[in-house]
Amino acid sequence: MANLTDLEYLRLNRWNRFIYRFSHFFTEKLPNGLKNFFVGTGRRIAGAAKKVGAECVDIWSTFVNGDWKTKLSFLVMGFGNLARGQILRGILFLLFEIVFIFYMVTTGAYWLSMLPSLGLQGPSKEYDPIYDTEITIPHDNSFKILLYGVLTIFFIIAFIYTWRVNVRQNKLAEQILKSGKKLRSGREDLRSMVDDQFHKTLLALPLTGIIIFTVLPIVFMILVAFTNYDGAHNGYSNALFSWVGWKNFDTMLNWSNNSGTQSYSATFGEVLTWTLIWAFFATFTNYFLGMFVAMAINKKGIKLKKVWRTILVLTIAIPQFISLLYVSKMFAKDGILNGFLLSMGWISQAIDFWGDTANNGLLARIMVIVINIWIGIPYLMLIVTGILMNIPADLYESARIDGANAWQQYTKITLPYMLFITGPYLLTSFTGNMNNFNVIYLLTGGAPTNAAASSAAGAVGFTDLLITWLFKITTGAGNYYYLASVVGILVFVVVAVISLIVYNVLPSIKNEEDFQ
Amino acid sequence: MASVKLTDVKKVYDNNVTAVHDFNLEIHDKEFVVFVGPSGCGKSTTLRMIAGLEDISGGTVEIDGVVVNDLQPKDRDIAMVFQNYALYPHMTVYDNIAFSLRLKHMPEDEIYERVTGAAEILGITQYLTRKPRALSGGQRQRVAIGRAMVRNSKVFLMDEPLSNLDAKLRNQMRAEIILLRKKLDTTFVYVTHDQTEAMTLGDRIVIMRDGYIEQVGTPTEVFEQPHNTFVAGFIGAPMMNMVPAQLKREGRQITVSLLGAEIPVTGDKLEELLAKDVHSGEILLGVRPEHMMLVHEAGPDTIAATLEVNEMMGSELHMHVIAPDETRLIVRVPTVNLTTEQRERLVYGATVHLTFEPKVMHFFDKEKGTNLIYG
Amino acid sequence: MSEKRVEPSSAPVQQHMGLKASRAISNTAIYVLLVIISVIWLIPFVCIVLQSFRVESTWQVGYVIPQKWGLDNYRNLLQTDFTRWYLNTFIIALITAVLQTVIVLCMSYTLSRFRFKMRGPLMRFMLILGMFPGMLTMIILYRVLKDLGMTQENAVPGLILVYIASSGMGYYVSKGFFDTIPKSLDEAARVDGATRLQVLYKIILPLSKPIVIYTILTAFMGPWGDFVFARYISFGASAGKNVAVGLYDWLSKDQINKSYTMFCAGGVLVALPVTILFMCLQRYYVEGVTGGAVKG
Repeated sequence: MANLTDLEYLRLNRWNRFIYRFSHFFTEKLPNGLKNFFVGTGRRIAGAAKKVGAECVDIWSTFVNGDWKTKLSFLVMGFGNLARGQILRGILFLLFEIVFIFYMVTTGAYWLSMLPSLGLQGPSKEYDPIYDTEITIPHDNSFKILLYGVLTIFFIIAFIYTWRVNVRQNKLAEQILKSGKKLRSGREDLRSMVDDQFHKTLLALPLTGIIIFTVLPIVFMILVAFTNYDGAHNGYSNALFSWVGWKNFDTMLNWSNNSGTQSYSATFGEVLTWTLIWAFFATFTNYFLGMFVAMAINKKGIKLKKVWRTILVLTIAIPQFISLLYVSKMFAKDGILNGFLLSMGWISQAIDFWGDTANNGLLARIMVIVINIWIGIPYLMLIVTGILMNIPADLYESARIDGANAWQQYTKITLPYMLFITGPYLLTSFTGNMNNFNVIYLLTGGAPTNAAASSAAGAVGFTDLLITWLFKITTGAGNYYYLASVVGILVFVVVAVISLIVYNVLPSIKNEEDFQ
Repeated sequence: MASVKLTDVKKVYDNNVTAVHDFNLEIHDKEFVVFVGPSGCGKSTTLRMIAGLEDISGGTVEIDGVVVNDLQPKDRDIAMVFQNYALYPHMTVYDNIAFSLRLKHMPEDEIYERVTGAAEILGITQYLTRKPRALSGGQRQRVAIGRAMVRNSKVFLMDEPLSNLDAKLRNQMRAEIILLRKKLDTTFVYVTHDQTEAMTLGDRIVIMRDGYIEQVGTPTEVFEQPHNTFVAGFIGAPMMNMVPAQLKREGRQITVSLLGAEIPVTGDKLEELLAKDVHSGEILLGVRPEHMMLVHEAGPDTIAATLEVNEMMGSELHMHVIAPDETRLIVRVPTVNLTTEQRERLVYGATVHLTFEPKVMHFFDKEKGTNLIYG
Repeated sequence: MSEKRVEPSSAPVQQHMGLKASRAISNTAIYVLLVIISVIWLIPFVCIVLQSFRVESTWQVGYVIPQKWGLDNYRNLLQTDFTRWYLNTFIIALITAVLQTVIVLCMSYTLSRFRFKMRGPLMRFMLILGMFPGMLTMIILYRVLKDLGMTQENAVPGLILVYIASSGMGYYVSKGFFDTIPKSLDEAARVDGATRLQVLYKIILPLSKPIVIYTILTAFMGPWGDFVFARYISFGASAGKNVAVGLYDWLSKDQINKSYTMFCAGGVLVALPVTILFMCLQRYYVEGVTGGAVKG
């Protein structure tokens, strides 16, 4: 559709405006957004490459122009610092280098050399004369090789970075001394840790934790997706595992299947579809009903506001596993609800809320969404209440003077305001619901069983999300870790794509400072 | 009590926007310098670079002869008053003022002396035990000044300290700052967007635009000898009238023709123009509203204009008039000079005749906007 | 706004009396609705409390009010490993609350106040990291913790480590709060002679009571409900379980008939302290939740 000027646009009727904006989004905004994203990424990569080049040039010129102290520091880290009287820095650099070399010589080299093969010698059976049986003697350990291999690479990167810092410090120190100024002493260095360098001090602990307990495992698990690591190849006591390339992705995403059962890709498609449906309903039912409840409580003239609010908030306090497990059992075949309905004579046969596989487990699917409303509304009520209070009252006053009724006030003022402010929240809430393990696992455990899908991929239920499926693959028979990590990577891809699109559309996310 | 020297100071933000270009200025000991300019001109950024709250991208800042580029704010021995007061909400007024002294581990007795002394001067003694939120805007401002005062620091920085106050209080505080300055007798750097504040407070005024210094000078200098049209328009209210005009030079005679009037230049202005060796051509002529005069009858040196809006300010009348070519002019007329009859005649649609003396004329280059005499 | 939709043209027709009457009707409707909502929201908890006092049977029954009341279920709890699980959870929650708060505050304060070169990339990087399902890391964390001897019976330190290690990524809410404290306060304090550290503990922390309490509260409540990691890392060893894992097993098919009412009793005991604490600090929680959503 042709681009309209503002004045032309204003002459369209409401429907055409919508069409125009909709098509505009797909023909202009989205392609542009994607283009910007890729161009930006490309530019960033080019920038990074250029930077590396510049760094190399700088390192070279530092070496050529540096004095002997600087030159020696290229080999002995921290030498320049020590020679120029910055004892503390010098000792730290030197210590780091010694530890690094010691580690690499003693163990690092081994892990690194084994990384391409993930172990050469698998466990062997040997006869043990004492016990008179065959016993298994493990040799290489693929799991450890992969883990410590990755760790060693991290360490090497850290070393290169530190070495670069060491070189730069020599250059700076030379410049400072040349200009007749003094270098910072160790005492000043320590003082700057709580002052101008305070952010480094503050970040050291949290970032170390994140690198070791999040980044390292994620890198490890991404790599596992390219191996055949599972229960039968645990890398140590029964068999080594090894690199298999893209094979696992092929298994997961290829529609054709030789064995005659439902393919992984079909199962993945089913579970993904339900995951998205669930995330959509879980997010928006909560959002609108929560808004409704909040507005009901906050309506002028309603008394005991605090009581109503407290009753709802109370349910947040109670740990979810208790409420979810209990509610799950309430709806069980022999649970309170069925017992009550039977004794009242309203039904003649217990309703199997969690076991009914009719219509792809529709009943169970509706039930989890409904129960999730029960879980989610209190949070939403709190959030919405906070925002409602922030909507300037004069907006409503002027709307009322302009003749808007209650419904119009809601659709023209409250809702747009809400959507603008809570845009980021809705996004995180959506992706959070995609990965809402607790609600599904504690309520249904994935039930009712999806027989067709289970034939291919182990136990899969109709209410299983990707995340609970992942959990089942990991803990179920066979321990197909490699498949689990493929699923995990695909979850990431889905979440990232959704976020990327939404981020480029939402007005309220673009500028962090707008909210300050 | 120190001098501040800025040499080629530059501020470039991460997104490659340059906020301040090669700023050069020497602020003398005990001088009161005002940075003034429209918002976004880099005046606050410059002040914050002196304070150490912004990194300096290039050039050097010296306080008392020492380069302070790499010093933390706390090590620069400066005091600062912020636009929004920046009082610590969880501390009483006393603790607020004593905060910096406590950080220096000063004995409590001496802190008491200094804080009560400052409170006395500022008239906030009865509020010392209150929290800032229980104070009015003016009182908060005094506390903020008190907090800066007790430190006896080398330089006193003020970042738009009066802009959060209402007009009446602003006038009052302005007077108090003048008094305070006399008492403290130290170096002041003051940032404002309000030209009245700049004119009344400053020993020297630094007028900035888009990160550049447009002019540095005493209030009289920037008012009487604006270097360019920007300064001319910025200083003085209402704004200076700026009209395209023809400058004609014949030997030692210069006349300016504009809006149907032909005015010969005489006196000092003529000498100065001749000294600059100006030629005939298009110029911009500036005349301040208060220098326009109403005359009864039309003449070769008068401009005929139609009255559009009258603003009665009490002591004077601001007349918005439309001259030929849709040129809009503002004329300030003291009301004492007008008879009742004249006033009644000055209504919408009335024709007035305006003229002005050569000595109030400002000549600007039409393209560059620079002052032909002083620029 | 549950008032019935009124056609714009009819709006002026509504006189004062009509306005009052329609408001009364809509308010009554809202009261009815709120009562229904309250009942729905409270029923499960009432049921769980009532059933924890039921002594005539230990399995699921079709009625709510016990025929015979007693404390047998609570007494039986003491015979099981429940006390151990309870203690485990309490210790985990306590230590996690302290350490996690420190880490989160460090992270969020830094990202709110300092403008260093790597700030943007760091925040983007953490955003991307957060898109990976956390469960993916479980397998390796289990193996690593096992090598360190922190699984099964010794799961408590292992779990603490897991909970606090990556807690820096949950900085959003408190960063949002710090962003609302004017930066000029920091600047004024720095000009006044404070180091960055002094700014933090003399100016910012005293002003951040709500968010500190919110962070402590959520950090404390988290471990009471965590199920996945706790189950994986305790891996069948009863001594290393937390309450969630322990009680979950009581509802498995082969145990539910024996321990259903005990589950209810356990649930009550778990919920009680957390709920009381929560109710006392509700104000701060509400502040944190609303602020967090608004500031993203």
